[in-house]
Amino acid sequence: MMLAQRAIPRDTTLGEWFTDPQSWTGSAGILASLGDTVVLCLAVILTSSLLAVPTAAYLAHHRLAQVTSAWLVNIGRALPTFAVAALLVPVSLRGGYGFEPWPIFIALVLLTVPPMFLSTYVAVREVDPAAVDAARAMGFTERAVLRSVELPLASTVIFTGLRVAGVQVVATEPIRAFLGGDGLGRYIRDGIGQNNATLTIGGTILIAALAGITGLVFSATERLIKPYGVRRLRAHRKPRSGDADEEPDLGDTDEFASHHGAAVGRMR
Amino acid sequence: MDADLKGPAIRFRGVTKRFPGTRTQAVDNLDLDIERGSIVALIGPSGCGKTTSLRMINRLIEPTSGLIEVEGTDVSSQPPVELRRGIGYVIQQVGLFPHRTIAANIATVPRSVGWDKARIDQRVAELAEVVGIEPSMLSRYPDELSGGQQQRVGVARALAADPPVLLMDEPFGAVDPIVRSRLQDELLELQDRLHKTIVLVTHDLDEAIKVGDRIALLNVGGVLEQYATPDELLRAPANDFVERFVGEGRSMRRLGLATVADLPYEAGPVVEASADVAAGLAVIDELRTDWLGLVDDDTFLGWIPREELVPGADLASLERFLPAAQVEPTSTLRSALEIIMTSRTSVAVISDNGRFRGTVTLERIRAGLAGDFDAPTEHAA
Amino acid sequence: MSMLLAARNPILRWSYFLEQWDRIQGAIFQHLQLTLMSVLLGFIISAGLAAIGLRYRWSIGPITLFAAFVYTIPSVAFFGVLRTTPLGLSVYTVLIPLTGFTLLILVTNILDGFRAVPASVKEAADAMGMTPMRRLFTVEVPVAVPYMINGLRIATVTIVGLVAVAGIVGYGGLGNLIMEGIRRQFWSPLTIGASLSILLAILLDLLYFLLGRWLTPWARTARS
Repeated sequence: MMLAQRAIPRDTTLGEWFTDPQSWTGSAGILASLGDTVVLCLAVILTSSLLAVPTAAYLAHHRLAQVTSAWLVNIGRALPTFAVAALLVPVSLRGGYGFEPWPIFIALVLLTVPPMFLSTYVAVREVDPAAVDAARAMGFTERAVLRSVELPLASTVIFTGLRVAGVQVVATEPIRAFLGGDGLGRYIRDGIGQNNATLTIGGTILIAALAGITGLVFSATERLIKPYGVRRLRAHRKPRSGDADEEPDLGDTDEFASHHGAAVGRMR
Repeated sequence: MDADLKGPAIRFRGVTKRFPGTRTQAVDNLDLDIERGSIVALIGPSGCGKTTSLRMINRLIEPTSGLIEVEGTDVSSQPPVELRRGIGYVIQQVGLFPHRTIAANIATVPRSVGWDKARIDQRVAELAEVVGIEPSMLSRYPDELSGGQQQRVGVARALAADPPVLLMDEPFGAVDPIVRSRLQDELLELQDRLHKTIVLVTHDLDEAIKVGDRIALLNVGGVLEQYATPDELLRAPANDFVERFVGEGRSMRRLGLATVADLPYEAGPVVEASADVAAGLAVIDELRTDWLGLVDDDTFLGWIPREELVPGADLASLERFLPAAQVEPTSTLRSALEIIMTSRTSVAVISDNGRFRGTVTLERIRAGLAGDFDAPTEHAA
Repeated sequence: MSMLLAARNPILRWSYFLEQWDRIQGAIFQHLQLTLMSVLLGFIISAGLAAIGLRYRWSIGPITLFAAFVYTIPSVAFFGVLRTTPLGLSVYTVLIPLTGFTLLILVTNILDGFRAVPASVKEAADAMGMTPMRRLFTVEVPVAVPYMINGLRIATVTIVGLVAVAGIVGYGGLGNLIMEGIRRQFWSPLTIGASLSILLAILLDLLYFLLGRWLTPWARTARS
């Protein structure tokens, strides 16, 4: 674990560090660290979306567990990721599973499930009831209503939720390096340890770049797989201006909607 | 604002409003006098400047040019804040303060102008009664009330400091037709007691006809096309625009507006029970009807068909047909028409608390439509 | 061997808790202090930014963009970079990032709150002769309060979690205990630090919930 660091001289510049092949290769090299981070983030995002999206869509379609979900989401958002991961470290070691990946994996899943669940739940719930009624009236089964009407119409909001959560995972994953793990966070950790600004800034640049790429990948995926009709819908919809006079009344202020309105949840 | 109690309560003189960035006027050179204690409905298609005109009265919008006086004082000479505290304002979305109880909402202006608590409490209780809000609702919050109740609270809030002028912008536009009709009735009852000067913007001609003492019909670009009583507007549209706006069914609308009391009094085919058959025949021949009504002083006794009126018969002992079709002086002509159409005798008896006051026929109503219902009607007693 | 190790180094040893209570208490205090300071500071700055945004509409975009940018800086990176600057191990090294992280949450919620005041309510306030100041403080601010509380709630809970992360630079309240545990592979301080910071987050969350209900009785009755 924390042994695989290589001390670099403090007067090394960022340019030198990034251009030195030695920085990139080896078990503590950038490529290996990047690989560690990407694999973990992908696993987390995949697991969280598979857990959160279908459950939320199903519950929202049947208007089930509104209060319980709101309550669980709130508790979930109150959980500090770093503390949760730390708490799991000794448990994992005891079980013989090592410092990672389980503690950080579980903590990151707990971090991302609530916002994904929330955005999906709200998105499906807020689909125009007229469209849902029309589908039912035409003899769609409940399953078909959810799959071919509610989910496509809710997809924009759901994708936004996934993208935000994905970027969040990448930005939070570096805590792993401080809990006995690896990944891109190691350069920040080593930089602090060696009081070397080049390493901390270099690591920060790598993480920021990965977060940016993650956002782009999500947007590209969204464009690729979203139904044409829904894409058109978004492109042609008149932008909701920020004109306060046009804002709707303070009608829907239950726990759920107000959190949704805030758009940003707890991160890291 | 107690100066000049003789002139109109609100006076527009050459008022023009042009919003920045627009080419046409929202309101164009408007002259309008609004009589104290009357209800004036501003109506017209969208873009006619009716709401703009209303909002210029309490300076929510400033006119580009022209003069507006409220109770004889130029509004532009008064600070908006003080002016507005003296003018009640009711809007469609009500705009109750969601964070304040109903009582606190009603008390807004009295509090602003510094009434003491006892006086405010008394006034709130009084207004709740006036607009028909249960005292138990006073401690609730707006979200707990129905649309109709909220609108009542809105009216109470506007009336709180007893302003002489009340501005209403589509006040009943957001409630369902049944509630709307009831709120309109309540407004008229309220006005009978309070005699405020009310300016009401509406897009509903029926509402304007029902509650307005006068109607100001505006056209797109803020041009006043006609300013008249509802009956005059329906009877004598000033031009094509008014005629088209008022539309079909003008006569039916007027019938809904005028009452039986607006028709000249006429006894109709009726004789005293003490008269003889010849006199009775003479009456129905002259009026060309098939039925003769019998009265005893001011009690209507019933109808006798023409076949029964054989010479020598005693009128008082002939079989009489009852009940007669009845209307009251306050019945609208529309409902009188309805009754006449479904009655066997084609005549409705006017009954004023059971006392015979005359009769109404189709012919009378038609004649009435040709005339002017606004003109005072002489009723021979 | 490992059994022996486990016996000596249990996940939580109560005697440690009792012996080290003074340190734990200090850590809790520092944790709370950093949380409240950064949220308070963040709220003051956000209120200012929101005021600018409401006054000059065009500035809302850039303000939000700036806050969102700060928000997406990974916390360990922000702390780490400041740690290697001349700020070193001062309180600013943690306070600046913590405050920065609150901005997006607070600004958006404050703006949402003011935008949630229905136009009809503002119009009614004007029409009843309220001065702009009076309207702001007796109508708009109270209506926006639930949104502000909600923002403060999310911000506070977020910051409780991030103060623990600040343990990586040795200035993080309960986070210091977590880091000590990791470094020494001695689990009692880690378990105590981690559980207490989770508990703190949940308690503060609950506290805000109750505060919100208490401050906004109109929203409570409407909801029931």
